[in-house]
Amino acid sequence: MTPIIEVKNLIKKYRVGTEIITALNGVNLQIAKGEFIAIVGTSGSGKSTLLNMMSGLERPTKGEIWINNTLLNKVKEKDMATFRRNYMGFVFQSFNLLPSLTALENAVLPLILQGTGKKERSKRGREILKMLGLEKRILNKPTQMSGGQQQRVSIARALINNPKIIFADEPTGNLDTKTTKEIMDLLTTTTKEKGQTLVMVTHDRDVARYADRIIHMVDGMIINEEEKGGAVVNEKVN
Amino acid sequence: MYKMDILKMAYKNLWRRKVRTFLTVLGVLIGTTSIVVMLSLGIGLNEAQRRNMERWGSLNQIEIYSGVNFDDKGNPIGQANPLNDEAVKEIKAMPGVVAVSPGFNMGGRALWGRKEGHLQLVGIEPAQMPQFEFELAKGRFLEDGDRFNIVLGWEVGRNFRDRRQLEMMRNMSRQSRIMMRQQMREQEPETLEMLNQRVTMEVHNRNGQKKIYNFTVVGVLSQENRDKSWQAYAPIDEIKRIREYVMGGRNNNDPRMAREMAVKEGGRATRVSSGRQVNGPSPNDYEFIWVRTENVDATKKISKALRDKGYRAHSLADNLEGIEKTSKTIQAILGGIGSITLLVAALGIINTMIMSIYERTREIGIMKVIGASFFDVRMLFLTEAGLIGLLGGFFGLGLSYGASKVINHFGSDFINRGMPPGEAANSLSVIPPWLALFALGFSILIGVIAGLYPANRAVRLSPISAIRNE
Repeated sequence: MTPIIEVKNLIKKYRVGTEIITALNGVNLQIAKGEFIAIVGTSGSGKSTLLNMMSGLERPTKGEIWINNTLLNKVKEKDMATFRRNYMGFVFQSFNLLPSLTALENAVLPLILQGTGKKERSKRGREILKMLGLEKRILNKPTQMSGGQQQRVSIARALINNPKIIFADEPTGNLDTKTTKEIMDLLTTTTKEKGQTLVMVTHDRDVARYADRIIHMVDGMIINEEEKGGAVVNEKVN
Repeated sequence: MYKMDILKMAYKNLWRRKVRTFLTVLGVLIGTTSIVVMLSLGIGLNEAQRRNMERWGSLNQIEIYSGVNFDDKGNPIGQANPLNDEAVKEIKAMPGVVAVSPGFNMGGRALWGRKEGHLQLVGIEPAQMPQFEFELAKGRFLEDGDRFNIVLGWEVGRNFRDRRQLEMMRNMSRQSRIMMRQQMREQEPETLEMLNQRVTMEVHNRNGQKKIYNFTVVGVLSQENRDKSWQAYAPIDEIKRIREYVMGGRNNNDPRMAREMAVKEGGRATRVSSGRQVNGPSPNDYEFIWVRTENVDATKKISKALRDKGYRAHSLADNLEGIEKTSKTIQAILGGIGSITLLVAALGIINTMIMSIYERTREIGIMKVIGASFFDVRMLFLTEAGLIGLLGGFFGLGLSYGASKVINHFGSDFINRGMPPGEAANSLSVIPPWLALFALGFSILIGVIAGLYPANRAVRLSPISAIRNE
């Protein structure tokens, strides 16, 4: 089976002033459909950059990214939003909800952008918010909700369109331990149920333990991969 | 994304920044108002001028007199076209011509009961009379088959005075005579009393004979027909016959008279005296031809075409062009002044939108990550800017109507000065429906144009750097 995400020899260099910083230095990665991957590393290890590359938010300096048999490098900037809308959902550390919209409106934003009818999206939005335990918060604005609730709305938003891939960038970074557990259980069960691929970036080893596979990054390179249960599968030493 | 959703979202975004939106809208409002009010003044001026002209005659009418045209230096241009039936036929065939009536003038002493005065008769085609923008105060127009019936202008009655009164006036001092005349001028003319009464006219022949003609007054023209108020209108055939009598016969054998006529009409006495009368004006030719046209534009065109053909054509509409050019210039200046305000308002919109992009950088980033296309983002910002324009335009239009009313209330004395009372008052400021629509459309357009640059900035925003600022 071809992997849903394939990264080939990915290099990303930034220019900061006169200096050139290498954020990614030859990353190879294959992610199968339905897999839950955690990318772990210290800050500056390039884990977020890798996520941004895979979701088409940043362009690589070199190397290839294949998403569901499409070469992402070739997708035009103009079409990238639509591409993301059709294949990917996003969960962020800082929730990134639109402050002027209600929970329901935030949750169905991808459907609004897609041009789904009002009735249909209201129905689907209510369904998913109920599933995530937010039925009483439907008309609340983000400022009227707790961090956990906000993150649940953003998960609802990520899931509403049934995307094949969910990218989560430190989804629990702003949450307390109890809520972290709730959110992680929620993310894991719902994506497993629907057979969605989940790619999560975190620096929290406890959170990473939910994943099927943990990828460790240091200085823009993958140094080892770890299967569920702690077995180091594939150690690379540069 | 549905248009409705974009509109809703744009509205929400504007509502979120109430004060700033309000101030920006206020700018557009003032801009729109200033343009609309300025243009309305220009339009009002234009309409007032036009109406003033129409008061002195119809803009749909051309008068052609016999004789040649002269250039600026007083030299005759071309040949005089005889005003005969052929000319009438030719003019009738021109496109845009509604009606044509040839005519004669004739004046003479006349009697009405015990009163005596002067009657200026104009002979026209009786059936064409309703076509020439006459308005009746009472009675009826001339009709086909009328013979000794006449229709009087509103002021004709002033020409008739009691014989005893005249006698009295003759014996009065100059001072009191002037005073008396003044008094009579201020009185209503007694023309309406002449309706259905008989007016007698005494006509003297060249051979020293005289004949008496009795006319019956069948109609009196309205006061509105100012250019026609001192004449009486009679069927042309009767006037023709009276003229023939005066000239002593149809064939005009008297060479002395022919020369006299020729000198009067075109100055080619030599031709006539040499007996070659073929191309020259004949005394049987009409003195004038009236042409009624479809509209003002047709009047201008036909009037010019007739002059090019060598006719001495004249129309009030000829003067209109210069006046319209002037008022167009005035309108352009006024509109220009108004536009500056709107331009400033447009800068305000640009400013507001750019500010809002700075504030909403993160939001825009989120929307782009979630899947808002370039088109969606651009449309959202253009819609917001357009909405500001629309709101400003809408309320600006409301304010303009109010301002227009106020201006007309306080300014009507100014523009209607010197107008006879009772006439339709002119407005200083006029907002026709097209101006209202134009103002709305223009303010939206200004908003959208002002939104172009900010919208482009929003589109260009990199989503990753937009959401990174945590």
